[in-house]
Amino acid sequence: MDQHNIGAHSAKPAQVAGGAASRVHMTIPNPTVPSSPAPATRAVAPVLDVRHVEKVYGARNNVTRALADVSFTVMRGEFVGIMGASGSGKSTLLNCISTIDAVTSGNVYIDGADVTAMKPAKLTRFRREQLGFIFQDSNLLDTLTARENIALPLTISRVPASEALVRVEDVAARLSISGVLDKYPYQMSGGQQQRVAAARALVTNPAIIMADEPTGALDSKNARLLLECFETMNRDYQATVLMVTHDSFAASYTQRVLFIRDGRIFTELRRGTSSRQDFFNRIMEVVAMMGGEGSDAL
Amino acid sequence: MLCKLAFGNVRRAGRDYLVYLLTLTLAVTVFYAFNTIALQIDMAGVSEQNPGMGETLGGIISGLTIFLAFVMGFLMVYANNFIMKRRKKEFGLYQVLGMSRGQVARVMTLETVFVSVAALVLGIALGLVLSQLMVFFTASLFKTQISNFRFFVSPSALLMTVGCLAAIFLVTLVFNLRVVARAKVVDLMSASRQNETIKARNPWISAAIFVVGLAAIVVAYVRLLHDGLPYDGQPEGMRVFLITTCIVIVGTILFFFGLSGFLLKVLQGARGLYWRGLNMVTMRQLSAKVNTVSFSMAVIAMILFLAITSVTTGMSLASVMDSTVERGTPVDYTTSIMYYSQKIADEWNADPTISGGEGGVTFAAPTEPVDLMAMSANQTLYADTPDAQPFDLASITGSYVQVDAYDSTPRGADAPLVTLKGLCDAVGMPLPAGTESSDVDTLGLQVISASNYNEYLAFRGMEPLDVAADGYTLLSDMGATVTDVYDAVLEQDVELDVGGFKLHPVQARVNEDASVFVNSMMGMNSGTLVVPDEVLDALDLPPYTSYLLVNYAAGPDDPASDAYLNADRRYNDVTDGAGNIVGGWGTEATRSTTYESVNSMNGLISYLAIYIGFVLVVACAAILTIQQLSGVSDAGKNYRILSELGTSTREIAHSVLTQQTIFFIFPVVVGIAHSAVALSVIVDLIELFGGLTIGGMVGFTALIFVIAYGGYFCVTYLMSKGIVRDAVRARHVG
Repeated sequence: MDQHNIGAHSAKPAQVAGGAASRVHMTIPNPTVPSSPAPATRAVAPVLDVRHVEKVYGARNNVTRALADVSFTVMRGEFVGIMGASGSGKSTLLNCISTIDAVTSGNVYIDGADVTAMKPAKLTRFRREQLGFIFQDSNLLDTLTARENIALPLTISRVPASEALVRVEDVAARLSISGVLDKYPYQMSGGQQQRVAAARALVTNPAIIMADEPTGALDSKNARLLLECFETMNRDYQATVLMVTHDSFAASYTQRVLFIRDGRIFTELRRGTSSRQDFFNRIMEVVAMMGGEGSDAL
Repeated sequence: MLCKLAFGNVRRAGRDYLVYLLTLTLAVTVFYAFNTIALQIDMAGVSEQNPGMGETLGGIISGLTIFLAFVMGFLMVYANNFIMKRRKKEFGLYQVLGMSRGQVARVMTLETVFVSVAALVLGIALGLVLSQLMVFFTASLFKTQISNFRFFVSPSALLMTVGCLAAIFLVTLVFNLRVVARAKVVDLMSASRQNETIKARNPWISAAIFVVGLAAIVVAYVRLLHDGLPYDGQPEGMRVFLITTCIVIVGTILFFFGLSGFLLKVLQGARGLYWRGLNMVTMRQLSAKVNTVSFSMAVIAMILFLAITSVTTGMSLASVMDSTVERGTPVDYTTSIMYYSQKIADEWNADPTISGGEGGVTFAAPTEPVDLMAMSANQTLYADTPDAQPFDLASITGSYVQVDAYDSTPRGADAPLVTLKGLCDAVGMPLPAGTESSDVDTLGLQVISASNYNEYLAFRGMEPLDVAADGYTLLSDMGATVTDVYDAVLEQDVELDVGGFKLHPVQARVNEDASVFVNSMMGMNSGTLVVPDEVLDALDLPPYTSYLLVNYAAGPDDPASDAYLNADRRYNDVTDGAGNIVGGWGTEATRSTTYESVNSMNGLISYLAIYIGFVLVVACAAILTIQQLSGVSDAGKNYRILSELGTSTREIAHSVLTQQTIFFIFPVVVGIAHSAVALSVIVDLIELFGGLTIGGMVGFTALIFVIAYGGYFCVTYLMSKGIVRDAVRARHVG
């Protein structure tokens, strides 16, 4: 089932993309372990369905094609990584999915709704209710305490104070940040800030949580803590997480990694039942192969 | 090349420079327009009435302009600092790219030049238009007709304005160059990061500070209302007043220091409200900003207080004069003689420098009043010129009356028979504000006889008053504060013991209209006792003052008669039959000159009040605007995050509006509260001259101020909305 989906969407661009197609096709490693990931058993419909998305910047004689015919799906409860060199289009992809940026053509369905066709007012509401964000810099409001930052998406959605505060406590406990709830961002470490940001993304119970280089500014210990947080979120809350990263170590925490190069999906890896270390090694192989072709080192 | 860079910078940083440009342009406009006052007055025909008016007012305005230019200068430095702070990184970058400090300084100088020249050109253009319009305004202020209107340009005002702008420019430049000269490149580059640190203060402490501030303000209010304003420079009163002033200043500062913390605590108490929508963001943004702006908010509140109080007081005084001048000028012309007391005469006779020693003059207390009409004939018109001629008041007089007032201290006695203090005590009222001077015990009321008063009433065309053998009445035209005491005395039927005579009131109230002996814009008769002729004769009182009230033969306000009286004249000594000098000529006034001086005074006060008030209000509003805009762009990142979390731009703008409303409203509210209390005390003082009437002029001025202040508020909000929109639009670059 999953495989069908992926086959339908990610293989197609490679076939229709003319000259590059055969080469790309050849470099794709053997499709990974056939065993289907656990989340597929919980839900059948994809929570995210990206179809033929294209994004072009600039005008007339100065056109940059950031995304070219990208298609893929993510099932509910999946933890998916997107890897690529800087300039590969991975952040553009995330921005298009997260409705922060508009696509040039193609469609993005989240929970069955086409976000590319939404009016701004509806988008705002949609973003509020269906999406959670985590960025490289934690993007916490510096004037608010951690508790207030986490509660913010709830208060914006007019969730009653009593309920909101209980949910904040609950999420904070799961992500082990109960101790910093009454601190301001500048009183916290970078790792704590990122975990607060993660809690804020999680607290509304969104359809998808988007993480853009969340470990980028963290040391390895804090990065590991944060990634474990993501695993917790994924496991305990069945949160669907889409994480853009160029860090193979971070990517190895996911269940599936999409590799993007020059605005196209280059290949994908599935973790399956293999260990994290094993998965990490396989990611490194792809990275090395992509790097070996003369593109930027990842 | 540098020029191009500078020009591009101004265009790019347009939004930051806009407030700067706007304020500077307004300043130039107002400076120019008000400095054309001399020409305006000429055109409005004021100078025909008051030949020196234009120069006088022009001089005052020039002086004021220099002072206000200083205020503006500091404001501009502040505004400019704000722009510089935001651009430190840019200046650092220029240096990293290899520009020398000198070149960077030149870029900055050029930028300042561009903006200043733009402000000058715009401001002068607007000023030219405004000054033409103001001629009509001036004419209506001074109640004159526009005599010779034409388009005019005032070179002196132009020079003044350019001079002030140049001074402002230089000061700003010096401060800017210091920024470049002093800063290390590394600091410049990291400037934006440094700005982001936010020190949070414990809201409990803030709330406590707020409560203390509020308490201090209330204490100061109570003290002021209780103690009133100090008069006559009594050191004790001054000290009390100074303490009150200090308390209110400290209170105001603490009030603003703790304001946001207090609001935060209150709102946090209401959980449902705090944890709802963007309320907590709004409150937190407010309290984060308070560190940097609370002090200036307090200063702005105080400045607004000063502006409101001085404008209202000035204009009330003006309208008081306006309303009392009609009652205060019952006849065409009045003059008076003040008689010397025995004590003064003795002193002066003993002093050779005054009396001239042997062969000099002799002073004496008069035995009876002199005839003013006869005495005035000894004056000389155009003395020491070929046109010299005796003054002939009788030639222009149609009808006249002389009122002779006597001192209430009998010859040989030490204390007056009737004093204001005694009357206050009799009815159990405190001394009216402004009369609590040290010699209150020795100052008596003046006394006139019933027959003399009836002559006066007949002259005024009023019903005679029957004082009978044991009656009395009181006269005053000084307005409610003093008259209230006399009214109480008459109403309560207080029996007066005047030198053994027991007298009873024959009137229930003071007739202020029938109390005017001198043409004046405000009341001059602070208290006159009318007694039966026999009583006056028996009391042996020395003459105090004689008043002469004249109506022209040629009809009311006859210009030729006015001109005759206003001509250059030498006053003679007032002598008795034996040649002793017994008094001196007191104030004289025609009705026309009184009216003119009232109009001029009104015009002057209104003019100055509007000028000062407007510049101060604009300065305050500009500071608030700059602070708010800097705050909004500092918080741009926060607003972007909010947008990403799914807040609509409208909601964010709403939160910004709430914050800005609080920042703009609170200083005004505090300023108005301070003013209200201060004015309620000042009103007591003004009432001494005939009561307070806040006329249409105050309303008009208030409207101008509200438009200026509100205009800045709107500009702030609209520009903030733009900043928020840009911040929200800013994308993550991957």
